[in-house]
Amino acid sequence: MKILVPVKRVADPDNANKMKVTADGSAVTSEGLAWKVNPFDEYAVEAALRLNEKGGSGDVLGETVVISLGDDEVIQTLRQPLAMGVDRAILVKASDGEIDSTVVAKALAAVVEKEQPDLVLMGKQAVDGDSNTAGQMLAEHLGWPMATFAMSIEVADDGKALVVGREVDTGVLTLKVTLPAVVTVDLRIVAPAAVKNGVTPDDHAYNEGARYASLKGIMKAKKKPVDQTSLSDLGVEASPLVEYTKYELPPARSGSATFVESVDELVEKLRTEAKVL
Amino acid sequence: MSQEDTSDRLFNPTEEHAMLRQTVADFVRREVEPQAAAQDEKAVLNQPLFRKLAELGLLGITIPEEHGGAGMDAVAAVIVHEELSKSDPGFALAYLSHAMLFVNNFYHCSNDEQRARYLPKVLDGEWIAGMGMTEPGAGTDVLSMATTATRDGDHWVLNGTKTYITNGCEGHCFLVYAKVDGRITAFVVDRECPGFSTSNHIDKLGMRGSTMAELIFEGCRIPAANLLGEVGGGLAHMMRNLEIERLTLAAMSCGIAARCVDIMVRYANERKTFGQPINRYGQIQRYIGDGYAMTQAARALTYNVARDVRADRRARIGSDAAKLFAAPVGKQVADWAMQVMGGAGYCREYPVERLWRDAKLLEIGGGTLEAHQKNLTKDLTKQLGS
Ligand SMILES: Cc1cc2nc3c(=O)[nH]c(=O)nc-3n(C[C@H](O)[C@H](O)[C@H](O)COP(=O)(O)OP(=O)(O)OC[C@H]3O[C@@H](n4cnc5c(N)ncnc54)[C@H](O)[C@@H]3O)c2cc1C
Repeated sequence: MKILVPVKRVADPDNANKMKVTADGSAVTSEGLAWKVNPFDEYAVEAALRLNEKGGSGDVLGETVVISLGDDEVIQTLRQPLAMGVDRAILVKASDGEIDSTVVAKALAAVVEKEQPDLVLMGKQAVDGDSNTAGQMLAEHLGWPMATFAMSIEVADDGKALVVGREVDTGVLTLKVTLPAVVTVDLRIVAPAAVKNGVTPDDHAYNEGARYASLKGIMKAKKKPVDQTSLSDLGVEASPLVEYTKYELPPARSGSATFVESVDELVEKLRTEAKVL
Repeated sequence: MSQEDTSDRLFNPTEEHAMLRQTVADFVRREVEPQAAAQDEKAVLNQPLFRKLAELGLLGITIPEEHGGAGMDAVAAVIVHEELSKSDPGFALAYLSHAMLFVNNFYHCSNDEQRARYLPKVLDGEWIAGMGMTEPGAGTDVLSMATTATRDGDHWVLNGTKTYITNGCEGHCFLVYAKVDGRITAFVVDRECPGFSTSNHIDKLGMRGSTMAELIFEGCRIPAANLLGEVGGGLAHMMRNLEIERLTLAAMSCGIAARCVDIMVRYANERKTFGQPINRYGQIQRYIGDGYAMTQAARALTYNVARDVRADRRARIGSDAAKLFAAPVGKQVADWAMQVMGGAGYCREYPVERLWRDAKLLEIGGGTLEAHQKNLTKDLTKQLGS
C-alpha cells in the first residue's frame, strides 16, 4: 500500500537540557541544539517500512513517502528516514512561526489529496510541543477513519483494512479501520512482532526499536528525490490558531534525595514533609 | 556536538559523514555501551554484536559499492572508530582488525576470483577475520620476520608463528605475511587449512572486548590461489595498509579521550567537596581544560590527516604523526578523568578505569611510539632530499 508518514524535526531529546528561552520569554532559542526526527515519527517510519516490505527478503510491497513542514534545513532531517529505506520525501516550505497543528493538518490534507495514499501513519505526538492533535485534525479534514496510539497493526481484509491495537487504561482496545485511514502510533509499535502485514513470515524477527540507517541506506539517501512545495502552492493559509504567549523553563531540580526504609515511612513523609498527599 | 559548528566541516565533511556518525552513535548508545563492562570482564568478543556491524554495512566501509561495500573514505572509517571507542575500545579493536587490517587490505591486494571467494563472507559477518604481521621475534623490526612460504605444486607451504593477533581466537581467515626466498609476500589463510592452528587466548590488560592469539603454521598447506598480489609484493601492501591502521588507531584514542572529557565535565559539576562542586577548583579545571584542548588537537590532526589517506597515494608521515600525537592523549585524558573522579574513577563501577586500561594499547599496537618517532625522522630527513 502507499503510505504517507509525516515527520517533524525536534530538538534532540537526549540534549533537552540545552534548551534555552530568550530573556523576555517570547521564544525558545534553537542555538546549539542538534535536530532529530521526532521519536514517535521515527516509530511511524519503522512501522510503515514493516508494512511495506516482505521482511528479510528485500522485497518492497508499496511506496513509503515522508513529508515535513519547515525550512530548507529540514531536508537534512528528512535524509534520515530516506536512509532507513523510505522511497522519497516531500518538504512543504514554511517557517516555524507560520505553523501550528491546525496549519499542519490542513497542509497534510492538501498533500493527501494529491498523493492519494492508502494510509497516513504518524507519531501520536511530537516530543517538543506534546500537542497530540495533528493526526486527529487531519482525519477530520479528510473524513477518514482514525485510530490513535497504535501499539499493534495488522493488515486485514486483503489489505482493505487494518486491525489496530490501542493501549488504554484497562487493557488493549482493538479497532478495525477501513482504508484509507489515519493511524497514529505509540512507542510499542516498534516491538519485534507489533506489525503484521500478512506477507512477512511470522517467524521473521525484527529488532526492538526503529531500524538504523545502514551505510548503504545513507549512501542511497542522497539520490532519493525530495519534492519541494509551499503552503501557498497547496492553497493553505499560514494562519495559526494557537498563539504562544510566554515560555519559561521548568524550575531547576533541588537535587536532594532522601532514602526511606518502608512504604509506610514513604507515605508518612509524603504526607507530613512533602505535603503532597 | 554543540559549540563545534565551524569545525564540523572537518569532522563531518559531508551530510553522509554526519549521518554515519549519527547512526553509529545511536548504535553505540543502544547496543554497545550496555555490554562493554561485561565483555571486559569476560574477555571475549561479542560475536552477535559484531554481526550487527555487518547489518549496518560497516564491515566493508572502505570497499567500493560494486564489490559489496559502502564505498566510503578514510574519514568515514575514522568516524566509526572514534564513535565505537567512546564506549568499547576493545570491541572497536576487533572491528579495526576485521574491517581495516583484513577487509581493506585484502581488497587492495586481491584479484576478482579471490574477492568473489572471500568478500561476501567477511562483509556479511559470517566470517571474522584478522591480520598476522607480528612474530615473537619480530615486532617493530617487522622486516626481520621468520615465517616462510615455499611453493609445492598447487600449494604454498607456510612455516612459522605470528603473535598478538587480534581476532586470533575466533577468526575464520587471516591475511598473513611470510617470506618467499626472503621476500615478504601476502597470503590469505583459512582456519581449515591443514597445518594451521591457533594458541590459547593471550590474556591482556585492556582491549578485552577483543581477543588475541598466536597463529601457528606447521607445514601449513594453502591453495596456490591464496597468494595475494605478487611474490615479494607484500611489503607494499603492508606499508599501504599501515597508514589506515595507524589513522584508525589514532581515531580510537580520540574516542577514548572525548568520552573521558565528557565524563569528567559531568562528574566535576556534580561532585561536591568542602561545600562546592569540585569544578570550582583550579586544579580540576586544569584537567578539564587541558583534557578538552588536547582531545580537540588530537581530533583535528587525525581528521585532517584522514583526508589524505587513500589507497592510491601515500600518507605515511601524516598517519605516523596522527597516531604518535593521539595515542598519549587518550591515555593522558583517561588518567585525568580518573584523577577527577578520585576513588570512584578507580572502581569497576564506572567506565573510566576500563578506558584507562584500553588507552595504553594505542601507544604499542600498530607501531610503538618509538617506531613512529623513528619513521618520522627517517621520512622527514628524506624529504630534505639530501
Ligand atoms: C592488543 C594487541 C593487539 C595486537 N594486534 C596485532 C594484530 O592483529 N596483528 C599483528 O600483526 N600484530 C598485532 N599486535 C602486535 C603489535 O603490532 C606489536 O606489539 C608492536 O608492533 C610492537 O612490537 P613488539 O611487541 O615486538 O615490541 P618490540 O619491537 O620488541 O619493542 C620493544 C620496545 O623497544 C622499542 N624499540 C624497538 N625497536 C626500536 C628502535 N629501532 N628504536 C627505538 N626503540 C625501539 C619499542 O618501541 C618498544 O618500546 C598487537 C599487539 C597488541 C598488544
